[in-house]
Amino acid sequence: MKNKVLMGLAAVVMVAFLSSCGKVPQAQIDATNAAIEAAKVAEAPVYVPAEFAAVQDSMNAIMADVEAQKSKLFKKFGPAKLNLDKTLALANQVAANAGVKKEEVKKEAQTLLTDIKAVIEENAKLITKAPRGKEGAAVLEQIKAEIVTIDASVVEAQGLFDKGTYMQALNKIKAAKERATGINTELKDAIAKVKKR
Amino acid sequence: MKKVWKLLLIAVFAVGFILLIILMLIRFTPQPPIGEMEYAREILSSAGRDKAETYSKKYYHEAKIYYDSAMVNWRKENKRFLYFRNYDRVAMFAELSSKKASQAAVNSKFSSSDLKIKVKNKIDTLNGIVADINNLFTTYPLTSEIRSRISKGKFLLKEAEIAFTKGQYLQANRKITDSEYLLTGSYENSITNLKNYFQSYSLWKKWIDTTIKESQQNHDYSIIIDKFSRKCYVYLNGTKQHEFDTELGRNWVGDKREKGDKATPEGMYKIAQKFGSNKTKYYKALLLDYPNEEDLKIFRGEIAKGTLPASAKIGGLIEIHGNGGKGIDWTEGCVALTDREMDVIYNIAKVGTPVTIVGSTVDLQQALNR
Repeated sequence: MKNKVLMGLAAVVMVAFLSSCGKVPQAQIDATNAAIEAAKVAEAPVYVPAEFAAVQDSMNAIMADVEAQKSKLFKKFGPAKLNLDKTLALANQVAANAGVKKEEVKKEAQTLLTDIKAVIEENAKLITKAPRGKEGAAVLEQIKAEIVTIDASVVEAQGLFDKGTYMQALNKIKAAKERATGINTELKDAIAKVKKR
Repeated sequence: MKKVWKLLLIAVFAVGFILLIILMLIRFTPQPPIGEMEYAREILSSAGRDKAETYSKKYYHEAKIYYDSAMVNWRKENKRFLYFRNYDRVAMFAELSSKKASQAAVNSKFSSSDLKIKVKNKIDTLNGIVADINNLFTTYPLTSEIRSRISKGKFLLKEAEIAFTKGQYLQANRKITDSEYLLTGSYENSITNLKNYFQSYSLWKKWIDTTIKESQQNHDYSIIIDKFSRKCYVYLNGTKQHEFDTELGRNWVGDKREKGDKATPEGMYKIAQKFGSNKTKYYKALLLDYPNEEDLKIFRGEIAKGTLPASAKIGGLIEIHGNGGKGIDWTEGCVALTDREMDVIYNIAKVGTPVTIVGSTVDLQQALNR
């Protein structure tokens, strides 16, 4: 009788031991996935793509480890739980970093938009003073055509900025600013040459 | 004592039996392809770092699908009773994923490298075309549509350069392709217009030679107007004496066809009348005998063909006059000089002095080389 009781107790202990190590950390998995999704919403793939890719890689490795443990008789989810904690923290950090980077890009785009509007205004004044020499007339016509193109691009860039797609807006504004600055220099050089004569 | 030994023996056998069962359980548990899955994941991650998703989209996408399929199958098998699990499909998908990811990585490296070279070459070529356009067409009038296309093309080229410096070769390629379409189309269109303009060069050459010969034979002055270069050449005894800048009609390209078209005519003319400062609003003027016989013949032919309306008039009052120096082509078809230069010509010229107006005194290649 005593032996039967002892054997029964041993069996219960064994089952309890095996089952306590075998629980999938589903709540942690869900929380980490939610954090990664939040990082995506924060546009981490756009503003901090390498960091976001690292978080995704980390999560993929954890999920593979979870399945590997589920495949076993004696499951150990301890390491997976630790990694989930780390990845959750990383995902939150990446989301925060994306926000910071987005703000930086926004400020840069805003500054460039302000600068380019000033250059465009100056160009409009300079063009009225530009020399209309034999070669000047056709060049001025080309400059006027370019100013029209730049104006249209700035309007497009402003639209992208207002929509919050700052990275796309930034690329367009940079191109517009370089062209506008180039024209500004051309006009100033031409006016200076005439003054020297 | 005997009883204790008996109990101990039973316990040892029991433990041994349990251990044997456990060992058997572990031994015959189906083994998942952990190594293969880890390898597939690493290769896929590496391909992602090599920007395979951008430069080898198809292979990368396939690799991801295979990897996801492996995970789906793995989860499915893990839900089954331990000893009924079969991980063969998981292993198969893992291997397919690894192969595709490797392909994606290699393809990506070649594609991005090739694309980088291709885009760089296109940027250089288009910058050359922009330089040619700037050099060739500073004085040659282009339509506003062509100018608009050129400016859009230049802007796209700038966007392509910025994307290229950031390593965004796919983006740069898209921009450069659009730029190429606009710039090369505009350039070719403009060159074709220019070539069409110079088609009459051989005729102009005959007129020039005749006019210079006339100056030589008559020991007198002749005047040649070069429209393309905006020059007025004054010859005496067949030798060039003076060279002046000129301004022409707004629509100076091509021959004059009708009254009001603001074109400066091409042909061999003579001075018909001289107007001093009290007889013209343009300081001084030399009226030409436009239209000549050739002009009338062409005009009547156009009316007959219907390329000009029946109500069209041939026009006249084409002069060499003063008030030039504005720096643009502003006349209604006349040739304008500065007042100072007008004084020189006015004093030289007389009624009957030949005035030959040509599209260019040099051929297209020489004009381009200038």
